Amino acid sequence: MNLTKLSSIFQRVRRNISTSPYLHLAATATIAFSLLVIGVFAMLYVNISALIHSWQQDVRVVAYLKDELSEEWVESLRQSFAKLNGVEEVTYVSKDEAMARLRRQMKHRLSLLEGLRENPLPASFELQLVHGAQTPENLDLLASQLRGFPEVEDLGYGETWFNRFSGFIGFFRLASLIIGGLVIAITVFVCANTIRLTLYAKREEVEIMRLVGATDAFIKTPFYVQNLIEGLLGGLVALVLLFGSFKFLIARIQTPDALLSSCDIRFISFTWCAALLAAGMFVGWFGSYLSLKSFLRS
Amino acid sequence: MITGTGAEPVIQLFHVHKRYGSQTAINDINLTVTKNDFVFITGPSGAGKTTLLRLLFLQEAVSEGQILVNGINLQRIRRAKIPLFRRSMGFVFQDFRLINSYTVYENIALVLETTGQDIRHIRKKVPHVLRMVGLEDRIHAYPPRLSGGEQQRVAIARAAVSNPFILLADELTGNLDTDAADMVFGLLRQLHSRGTTIIVATHDSRLFDKARARIVFLNQGRLEGETKS
Repeated sequence: MNLTKLSSIFQRVRRNISTSPYLHLAATATIAFSLLVIGVFAMLYVNISALIHSWQQDVRVVAYLKDELSEEWVESLRQSFAKLNGVEEVTYVSKDEAMARLRRQMKHRLSLLEGLRENPLPASFELQLVHGAQTPENLDLLASQLRGFPEVEDLGYGETWFNRFSGFIGFFRLASLIIGGLVIAITVFVCANTIRLTLYAKREEVEIMRLVGATDAFIKTPFYVQNLIEGLLGGLVALVLLFGSFKFLIARIQTPDALLSSCDIRFISFTWCAALLAAGMFVGWFGSYLSLKSFLRS
Repeated sequence: MITGTGAEPVIQLFHVHKRYGSQTAINDINLTVTKNDFVFITGPSGAGKTTLLRLLFLQEAVSEGQILVNGINLQRIRRAKIPLFRRSMGFVFQDFRLINSYTVYENIALVLETTGQDIRHIRKKVPHVLRMVGLEDRIHAYPPRLSGGEQQRVAIARAAVSNPFILLADELTGNLDTDAADMVFGLLRQLHSRGTTIIVATHDSRLFDKARARIVFLNQGRLEGETKS
């Protein structure tokens, strides 16, 4: 593209915007608002995912053992468990240690434990899965393998809780996609109609351009450029608003006495920011594409 | 068939008809215009003069018959090629068709921008063509601030700026006083002397002595005869 074309395109972009500034401001504001909504969802998604991921890291399978296993037997079991697929770390918790833990946890209600004649708690092995393998499927697989050991009395790995949260994450992803898709579709519709209004106001100019030999591409390019710019600006405004709101909320909820003070709430990543800007530009471009296609055919 | 005097035909019409519903605007016209002809198409209002020019400029499609411009069959030209075809011609519209939000410079430069010409060339060419029409001092004015005659001269400058091989003009001097009409015809003669084929649709017979030209008579869409001025 040579200097003449570039200069001509940007002159016509400037003229388009300056002849109907409020229309273009409305289009930019619509894109900004839509991307802000998507950005809020992205932030929720990123933080909830991070939270659940950190919970997943702590997921471990506890194999409760039958009583009266010899030390050699326990050691042999440890070695067998360590060889199971996906297991990273095996920790033995003896009956005494289990009781000591319970005492620590119930330090304010120790009287409840005083009547016990003997330690009712079983010894156990805690199996930690390798990083990234804490999926419901892997946990179920490991549990079924552990159930095959006759020394294992019972298992505990919070499968109900884990499946519920996995289900929630799946639902949240789907809901985000649907809402994000709807917001994008509405924004494209609004942008397309904004361009259509601009085109309608400029139909005589477009007609004259055609009469002097302008191709469709020559007529369309400034509209595409203008909407890409509006999309980019909308994206930037959305990011600034999102970041401002994020900082404001962080200042409010992370005071020492606040409920969520220990939560590590993060802003969306650079990739997400770039994706939001790209989405704004795409929405602008696609809106122009739809309206120009029908306008120039007519 | 009425033919020109030159050897090389640039426009050929073969049994051309144009109908709008049951109304016939052009009725079985055969005409050949040769290179560097100066042609007046004349006739009363509603004779089909403007329609004929619109057919030549591909603003309308023929209902029947065939038009060849420089050997190109206009009925077979693809939609994407129409802009390229129009760039090879200049058209001075009856209502000028200037873009009101563009300055005089921008209106004329637009034609050169569509062909992707270098910006330095455009900056030289536009003032040059405006000098030809005597409007160099109005280069930054907007069309609504110009008189009818000035707007028409801008329209001629726009049509001439790309050195078209055919220039079509519709009711060229309808808005002009005698001096302005003389100036406009001076410009057309200048373009004609450089080899441009000129076709002017007019109902004003007083213009015929302003140029040595073929005069083609239309009436009710029919070609009724030809003479020379």
